[in-house]
Amino acid sequence: MRAILVDDEQANLDNLQVMLASYCPAIKVVATANNITTAFDQVNLHRPDLLFLDIQMGKTTGFDLLNQLEEKTFEVIFVTAYDNYGIQAVKFAALDYLLKPVDPDELILAVSKAESRLESKSNGQQLNFLLNQIKRTEPAIPKIALPQQHEIRYVSVDNIVRCIADNTYTYFYLSNGEKILISKPLKEYSDLLKPQGFVRAHQSHLVNPKYVKSWLKEDGGILLMINGDKIPVSKPNREMIKAILGR
Amino acid sequence: MFAIATLYSQKGIDFSVQYPGGRNLNMFVDSAAKNVYYTLQFPNQPYTAFSFLPDVSNINIRFNFKKTTNIEHYRYSILIDDKPIQVNRTFDTAKIFNTEHPNDSPFGNDLEVISAITFGNFLIKNKVITVLTYSIERPLAIYKSVFYAKPIPKARIISLGKRFQVENGVKYKYFHDLKAQTTLNLTIKDDEITIVKDRTNIDYLYNVIIKDIQSNRIIYESTAWQYGAHLDESNQLAPYLKFDKSIFQKSGDYEIVIQPMISLENRLDGDMSPEEIDKYSTKYLMTIDLEKEITFTAKELGIYMGAACAFVGIIAGFTMTAIKRKNKSKFAAELHQKQLAHIQLNSVRSQLNPHFLFNALAGIQNLMNKNETDNANKYLSKFARLTRNVLDNKALISINQEKKLLDDYLQMEQLRFGFQYNITSSKDFDAENTEIPAMLLQPFVENAVKHGIVEKGNEGKIEINFEKQSANLILQIIDNGQGFQSDIDYKGLGLALSKERIMLLNNIYKETPIILDINSDINGTAVSITLTDWV
Repeated sequence: MRAILVDDEQANLDNLQVMLASYCPAIKVVATANNITTAFDQVNLHRPDLLFLDIQMGKTTGFDLLNQLEEKTFEVIFVTAYDNYGIQAVKFAALDYLLKPVDPDELILAVSKAESRLESKSNGQQLNFLLNQIKRTEPAIPKIALPQQHEIRYVSVDNIVRCIADNTYTYFYLSNGEKILISKPLKEYSDLLKPQGFVRAHQSHLVNPKYVKSWLKEDGGILLMINGDKIPVSKPNREMIKAILGR
Repeated sequence: MFAIATLYSQKGIDFSVQYPGGRNLNMFVDSAAKNVYYTLQFPNQPYTAFSFLPDVSNINIRFNFKKTTNIEHYRYSILIDDKPIQVNRTFDTAKIFNTEHPNDSPFGNDLEVISAITFGNFLIKNKVITVLTYSIERPLAIYKSVFYAKPIPKARIISLGKRFQVENGVKYKYFHDLKAQTTLNLTIKDDEITIVKDRTNIDYLYNVIIKDIQSNRIIYESTAWQYGAHLDESNQLAPYLKFDKSIFQKSGDYEIVIQPMISLENRLDGDMSPEEIDKYSTKYLMTIDLEKEITFTAKELGIYMGAACAFVGIIAGFTMTAIKRKNKSKFAAELHQKQLAHIQLNSVRSQLNPHFLFNALAGIQNLMNKNETDNANKYLSKFARLTRNVLDNKALISINQEKKLLDDYLQMEQLRFGFQYNITSSKDFDAENTEIPAMLLQPFVENAVKHGIVEKGNEGKIEINFEKQSANLILQIIDNGQGFQSDIDYKGLGLALSKERIMLLNNIYKETPIILDINSDINGTAVSITLTDWV
C-alpha cells in the first residue's frame, strides 16, 4: 500500500516512518507533509491508498484537508496526541485512529484493518459522514455510525433506546423496534454515549433516559421503559441512576 | 448434499441458527419456534444442560467435536420421554462431516473447522428428549442434555416443617397440603424450617426465593435441593431445602416463590414478561408470627401500653413538625456529603499517580540509555496508556481494562526488577462489562513491587486474582516479599491514601461497601479487597 503521512511536527513524521519501515514493511511511504497545503498537492499527485492524518495542526485540522479533497479514494488512519473533541467525532463515525506515541501492535492492527477495508471500497462514505457531523455548527443530536458486517448504519443518538452487552458484542435497540448486533464491546459505546446523557444501569445495560418511563422498586430497583421492557439496575449504580433520573 | 438440504427444509428446520445444547451438543429447531431457552449450567449438577423448547415441533441435534478428539472413545444414548431408543452406541465415523464453529478469538468472527455428526431429526412436540454422552476415558463424566418440549410443571410444596428444641434434642412438626395462603407460628424454641417439594425429574431446575413483602427484599434464595429424609405419596425421595429461622427477622407477610431457572438472560429479546414467568412459578403467601424473646403478662402489657400511648401521643404532636423540617435538611446534608465525597475522591485519585508515573519514566530512560529501541517503543506506549488512564480520571473502568493496565504496569516494572507475576480471574463473571473503581488495585500492586519483591529478584512472585464469591467481587494481591509490620510503614507506603479513598468510595456506594483486608508477615503480604454485593 502506498501511504502519505501528514503531521505538523517533523519528529512525529520521522517516528512514524521508522516504525512503518520496521513493523509494516508492506507500506511504501510515497510522501510526507507538514501542513495541509502541501498535503493537498501530494495527495492529488500521488493518489495514495492510505493517509496517516494528524488531527490538530496549528490552527488547521486534518478535517480541513479532507474537506478540500474532492475524491476520497483512500483510507484514513487518524493520529492524535490526546482524546479531544476531534477524536470524539472520529469515534462517532467508527473510523480508525492511533494515539501518540504510537503503539507498534496498534499500528500493525490499524494497517491490516485499512488494508481489508480498501478491498471493500467502502471508504468515502464514512469520511463524508464524519465531515458532515463536524460541519454542523450546532450538533444538537449527533448521529453515530454502527458498522455491521455488510453495511454501516448511521443512527441518530436520539433513536437509540438502549444497548445490551453480549461479551465483546453490543446489541442496539432502536426506537423503531429494530435490534442490531455490533461487534464492539459495550464499554466503547458507554464512553461515547454517556456524554449524550445515557446511563449505565447495569454491567450489561446502557440506557437512554429519554425512553425510561419509571423507576420500579421491585427487586431493589428496575427501570421500566416506555415500551414495557424492564431493565435491571445493579446495586452499585442505584444511587447514581436515581440521582440522574430525579433531575 | 442438495438432496439432504431439501429433506431438512421439508421438516421445516432452520439450519441458519444453531443453539448450544450442552457439552458438545448443538441444536437446530424448526423456523416456527419463537423462543429457545437454554441453561447450560446448574449449581448442583456439573454435567447437566437443559433446553426449554415450548414451541418447537422439530429438532435436529448434532454432536460437535474438535479434530483432535478421539471420537472412537465416545458413546451416546438417546431417550425419548423415559424410553431409551438408542443405548450406549458408538459414533459411525463414516458420517462425520466438517462444520464451522466460531472460535474464542478476541477479534470475533474467526471460524474454526471442526467435525460433527448428526443424531438426526426428531419430532419433539410434547416430548422430552434426553441425550447422554461420555468418553470411555472418563466413564463417570456422563453429560446429560435435556431437550424439554412439554410444559414445565409448576412446583408444589408437599410439606413445610419446623424443627424445635426439646430437653434432650430436637423434634420436628410438619404441615401438609400447604394452601396458597398460610400462617406459620414460630416460637422461640423453633430453630429451623424445611420446605419439601414434589418430586420431578428436573428438580435441579427449580429455585426457591423467599421475599419479605413489606420491604420487597429477597431474604433467602437457594437451589440446593437435598434428598434422603422425605418421601412423597408414591414413596419416592422428595427434594427438600432447609434454612434457619433467623431469616425471618420480624412477624409479617412473606412470599415463597418456586420457579424454574429457564434463564431469562439466555433470551435475546429481553426479559420474560411477569405474566409469562407466572405461568411457570408457584407462589405461597406465608404470614409469619414470630414469638418475641421478652414476654409480658396481659396485665403488665396493658399498663405499659397505656402509659406508652399517652407518652407517645404528647411527644408525637411536638415532633411531627420537627421531623418534617429535619428530613428536608437531612436529605440536603446527605446530598452535600456525597458531593463532598466525589470532590475529595478526585483529589485523592490524582495524588496516587505521580508515584508510579515517574518510576515508569525512569524505566524507559534506562532502556534508551541501553539503546534498546524496540523495547523502549513498547514500554513507551504502555506508559502512554497508563498516563492516559490517569488523565481521563474516569471513576469506573472495566475489570478487563484494569487487568490490562496492571499488566502494562507490571511488565514495565518486570523490566527493571525481573520478578514473576500472574494475573488471573475466575470465569463466572463478565470481566469485559463489570466495572470497578479505576486504579483501585494499582497502589497495592505498586507496594508489592517496591516493598515486597524487589530484593528477591527472580524469586519474587506477585499473584493478582479477580474472583466472584456469591454476589461479592474479591480482588487479591499476594506477594512473597518480606512484608511490613508497623504503622510507620503504612504511612510510607501510600496505604493511608488508599484507605482514605476506600472510605470515600464507601460514602458514595453506601449499599455496596468495599472492605480492605491486609495481612503481612515476613513471608509476604496478602491484600484482599472485597466489593460487597457488586455483581
